[in-house]
Amino acid sequence: MEIITAILAGILFATAIYNMLQKQLLRIVIGTALLSHGAHIFIFTMGRLKTGQPPILIDGIESYTDPLPQALILTSIVISFGVTSLLLVLAYRSTQENGTDNMEQLRGNENE
Amino acid sequence: MSNLAILPIIIPLIAAIVLIFFNKRVHISRVLAKLFSIISLGTAGYITWYVLEHGSVILETGDWIAPYGIVLVMDGLAAILVLTTNVITTACAFYAPHAGLERRERFYFYPFFFFLITGVSGAFITGDLFNLFVFFEVLLMASYGLIVLGGEKVQLRESLKYLLINLFSSMLFVTTVAFLYAVVGTVNMAQIAERVQEVEQQGIITTIGILLFFVFATKAALFPLYYWLPKSYIVPNPVISALFGALLTKVGIYSILRVFSLIFVHRTDLTHEMFIWIAGLSMIFGVIGALSTSNIKLIIAYNIIPAIGFILLGIGVLNDSGISGSIYYLVNDMIIKTALFLLVGIISYVAGTSDLRKMGGLIHYYPSLGWLLFLSAAVLAGLPPFSGFIGKLLLLKGAFEQGEIAIVIIGLLTSLLILYSIVKIFINGFWGDKETMGNIEKKPIKGLLTPVFALLALAVLLGVGAELFYPSIESIAAYLLDPEIYIDSVLKE
Amino acid sequence: MIFAVLIPLLIACFIPALSKLKEKLHTGIFVFFIPFLIFLYFVSFIGNDFTPIKEKYSWIPSLGINFDLYLDGLSLLFVLLISGIGSLVVLYSIYYLDKSERLGHFYVYLLMFMSAMLGVVLSDNIFVLYTFWELTSISSFLLIGYWHFKERSRYGALKSMLITVFGGLSMLGGFILLYVVTGTTSIQQMIGQVDLILNSTYLPLILGFILLGAFTKSAQFPFHIWLPDAMEAPTPVSAYLHSATMVKAGLFLVARFSPIFSGYEGFFIVVSVFGIVTLCWGAYMSVRQTDLKAILAFSTISQLGMIMAMLGFGTKAAVFAAVFHILNHATFKGSLFMVAGIVDHETGTRDIRKLGGLATLMPITATLAIFGTFSMAGVPFPFLNGYYSKELFFDSTLGLGSDFWSQAIPYLAVLGSIFTFVYSMYLFFGTFTGKKQLDQLPKKPHEAPIGMLISPMILVVGVVIFGLFPNIVNASFLQHAATAINSTVVYKEITFWHGFITPFKMSLAVVGFGTVLFLTRKKWQSVYQVLPGKVSFNHVYDAIVNKIGTVANRITNYYMTGSLKTYMSLILGTTLIVSLLFMYLTNGFAFNTDQLAEVTFIEVAVVLIMIVAAIATIYMNHNVAAILVVGVVGFGVAILFVIYRAPDIALTQLVIETITVALFLLCFYHLPKLRKSTDSAKTKVMNATISIGFGALVTLVAISAHSSRWFESIADYFVENSKEMGGGYNIVNVILVDFRGLDTLFEISVLGIAALAIVGLIKYRKNKEAE
Repeated sequence: MEIITAILAGILFATAIYNMLQKQLLRIVIGTALLSHGAHIFIFTMGRLKTGQPPILIDGIESYTDPLPQALILTSIVISFGVTSLLLVLAYRSTQENGTDNMEQLRGNENE
Repeated sequence: MSNLAILPIIIPLIAAIVLIFFNKRVHISRVLAKLFSIISLGTAGYITWYVLEHGSVILETGDWIAPYGIVLVMDGLAAILVLTTNVITTACAFYAPHAGLERRERFYFYPFFFFLITGVSGAFITGDLFNLFVFFEVLLMASYGLIVLGGEKVQLRESLKYLLINLFSSMLFVTTVAFLYAVVGTVNMAQIAERVQEVEQQGIITTIGILLFFVFATKAALFPLYYWLPKSYIVPNPVISALFGALLTKVGIYSILRVFSLIFVHRTDLTHEMFIWIAGLSMIFGVIGALSTSNIKLIIAYNIIPAIGFILLGIGVLNDSGISGSIYYLVNDMIIKTALFLLVGIISYVAGTSDLRKMGGLIHYYPSLGWLLFLSAAVLAGLPPFSGFIGKLLLLKGAFEQGEIAIVIIGLLTSLLILYSIVKIFINGFWGDKETMGNIEKKPIKGLLTPVFALLALAVLLGVGAELFYPSIESIAAYLLDPEIYIDSVLKE
Repeated sequence: MIFAVLIPLLIACFIPALSKLKEKLHTGIFVFFIPFLIFLYFVSFIGNDFTPIKEKYSWIPSLGINFDLYLDGLSLLFVLLISGIGSLVVLYSIYYLDKSERLGHFYVYLLMFMSAMLGVVLSDNIFVLYTFWELTSISSFLLIGYWHFKERSRYGALKSMLITVFGGLSMLGGFILLYVVTGTTSIQQMIGQVDLILNSTYLPLILGFILLGAFTKSAQFPFHIWLPDAMEAPTPVSAYLHSATMVKAGLFLVARFSPIFSGYEGFFIVVSVFGIVTLCWGAYMSVRQTDLKAILAFSTISQLGMIMAMLGFGTKAAVFAAVFHILNHATFKGSLFMVAGIVDHETGTRDIRKLGGLATLMPITATLAIFGTFSMAGVPFPFLNGYYSKELFFDSTLGLGSDFWSQAIPYLAVLGSIFTFVYSMYLFFGTFTGKKQLDQLPKKPHEAPIGMLISPMILVVGVVIFGLFPNIVNASFLQHAATAINSTVVYKEITFWHGFITPFKMSLAVVGFGTVLFLTRKKWQSVYQVLPGKVSFNHVYDAIVNKIGTVANRITNYYMTGSLKTYMSLILGTTLIVSLLFMYLTNGFAFNTDQLAEVTFIEVAVVLIMIVAAIATIYMNHNVAAILVVGVVGFGVAILFVIYRAPDIALTQLVIETITVALFLLCFYHLPKLRKSTDSAKTKVMNATISIGFGALVTLVAISAHSSRWFESIADYFVENSKEMGGGYNIVNVILVDFRGLDTLFEISVLGIAALAIVGLIKYRKNKEAE
């Protein structure tokens, strides 16, 4: 199953990158969302899947899933959320100011 | 005393939070910012002295023993980088009130400024790979805040690219940490190093290391990953550019130095050999970039890239001279890049343009500005007896000792072109007829020049008085080249 | 001795204050005493029993950089030149530069140069030598650019700096290699380890690096091109830096390292060939010039080539001749530069075509010039020092060997000297005899003030004294200098007449052919114009400097397009290729199916739905649909978390995903609608290749990492201690708030900063609109 989730995360990365290589800002934003999902699944997979109980201590149970990756994912989710919100606002403001959501038109010229 | 290790993180954090509440009162903010940066500088100075005198200070946060909790490792390298960071930020704090930030100061300039310091210091100090990611995010988020400050069209445009590229590399960073965790079962750097050593860095580990290298190289702006840098560094106010130029890329190269002197040191025939090539290409393409433009801010921004190349060169050769050279050059470059960014900021302020082709004869109006620029050109190009020379000398010596002749030749030629790129500003901008730009109205720049002057004085001191500093740097290099010391000091085995 | 080196620099710091007094007194008057006292100090060392003196001062001992001074015969020769000519030049400048000039700057640069030059010739430490070496380049740059309002000055200043600093850096490379090979930074100690250096595989490289430094500084072909443009500097500077001292630093360097390299035959070939070629080329180019200072500049190049060649021969005779000629050249060329300066000053032009017949108007100047030019030409008169050293030079070219170059050298020496004769004659007769063309001159010429004449007069007296009594400083001075270069040199009388031998015949040939060529000068004009024509090295330099900007611009703009897509593609492409390469090289891929979780239908179904949704995002052309599809992926992630027993993150993911979807909806409402991709098929394939490649890379690494679990995770510690020490049952929570509390603290900070940034972004705009 780890192989399958690794492939899933890989596909999420691939689609994320494909979207980020597009011109339209919206697609790029979608790409970033997929990217963080991909990264989180990778972290999750790296902590092994399903080798025990949820990491909540209950008397008599010895085997738990690896709690550390979960903690790391939690931190990462929150950070990604912060970045994504800022990105959304920035995308919105940039589109407003520059009058386009096409990244290819946001190249700028050399002497500014 | 181990609590010392966290002070450089906590003080700016407190400063940032306090300053949020004073955002509407610019005058109080300014005073507080200066005050906090001086306190922080003093603390950093004390810590550096303490660490050099008594050895690394290790703080196991929350008293959770390493490798289980997050450990902060204030070793010599971290200490001098934190100290340099504080020197620069103090200079910037004194420059900022005169920098024409205007309303930006009321939109959380100072909180971002201190958050940035928090992140940078944290990145230098932490001994935990995932925690390093978190501090990267702190400093990146603060930098996003700073770069968009003002909301000009160009700013928004360039910060979008900056943010997206950094976002990608951050995501790759956590993923890579996870891969490494799968293999070695830990995120504590000392323990990672120990375990990687145990299995002789076999199998997938080197590839993971390379992915990590690319993550850091993107932040450090090495060839061929620096595309995001030049434009995005010139769009904000000069004081912000100076902070970025001095700190952000340096955190990237610091991370490479740390990780590739501590953890991935068992396949140097592949990894470090490649670094030398990347170093050479960074020098070449960086300096070509610097020569390609007549925008003075852009000239300085491009000059970041060859400097990072020089530092990487020392990591690539991985011997005493090389590593000492990298550290010396790193410190030197942080100082001189700040000075240069601030200087071109002043120049474009007094000239009313950043386009070199429209300037001339400024020396008649601003002689001290001109001479400071000239001096910094000499420092940047590594002319003796200034700080750049000491670093360059060590780096080139290190490269020769490894028999890397080609890179030395590239390094020497690059130095010449770096000098040319800055002297060009001096010749075209400052020399010439008094009337080249018509009659300029003289603007007061004393408040702006003083911090620059202080930084350059330090650069001169670092060169002329190298004897005061070099022995410490040399011992730090020896320490870095023996990962066992780091591992033992953290894991106490 | 250290004071002698540093005093000019220290005094330079006070010049700006002094120059405020210039209303009353010329700053030069104060400055004059500095070189003069230094000169007197060093004169006291001259004597038959002179022995080298060492002084040591610690500077940066841990890097081997120490202020070690070494005064031997060679340095003494240069030190006396620097301080002696320096005094005369300062004296001359007092009359040459008007008080209205920015004298403060001038003398600061000049003193800085003086210190630097003294430092170069006295340093025993290679890195200190290099420091002063670059300082001479910098001060030369500033002096050439002294009249920086002139375009030509700026051009000349930049050119000289680029070329000499280029050489300096190369020399640094050589020095570092020497340091690595010998482990010492002292030149004298290196000389003690000649064998080590000669046996090093780096020897050709070291030699190449150092000679490049010497050749650029001493304006050897083809690096000579900076020197003529350096003539834009005020004439005292040309006389001082660009004729008597700085340009001889390269000669000094070669002489200094001669004891090391003379054991290597490549040294002889390279140095003498470059020297001889420079001699001929410089002399030939000089004949073509019409500007007095340009003639002198090319003449200097040629003479430097001649001395360089002699140092290259390295024989006893040659080395002695070289030392003697360094001294002689300083006297006659120094006086000629000052004469040229006087002519320029008094007539307002240096164009020889406009000059002529000045002898009657400026008799003293003309007399000085005749000594200078005839000495330079090597005319066999017993009262001209130039003849003696030229004779010694001819002598040293003979019998060097039987190979082609050794045989050709005497002929080339004669050829070069013929041209030398021609331009020397032209310089004198063209300026001082012939028809007067006073109407062409900007000023009405008359004799120069006496103050201006003193310095050239003293130098001409030197020409005559060294001519009449060639042995006057031979044993006490020149001999020491020669032995410092080649320890086998023994004392030899210099005599005017040694019979009708080959060198004398060569001199006669020079005078004979030279006179013919000079008299028929006009007929040759067209021939002189053929070379160098388009092949001039100036064109090369100009092309490099002019094109470097445009080429750099083209290269940089090629990839710095400002397009995020290009940047991302390049970054991803590089990471992908290099990482795959490393994976292959280190045999990194691993595949291991042990310990895998079992595959069940429901999980596979979730995964499949997520995959379909992820791919669908690419094809969605409707805002809301796109958000929904992204939401499907996000909630899919949450379901996976639930299935694999991670309740905390599943909850967080659900909450965050919900908010994110809401944010997306809000934001997408304001953004333009999704459009169909208009990329060409080629771009699409390219994008797809990169994306799929990168996805594959991370998957492969993930599988390999998963298959290489060589260590137990530290997680067991958290399980064991969560309750007792952390006081909580939920291990993830305990990790977040306690074990790794620091992460959480800064994770919250990140959110806080993001909030501030968003506030800034939105409010700043409102503020702007309000205004």
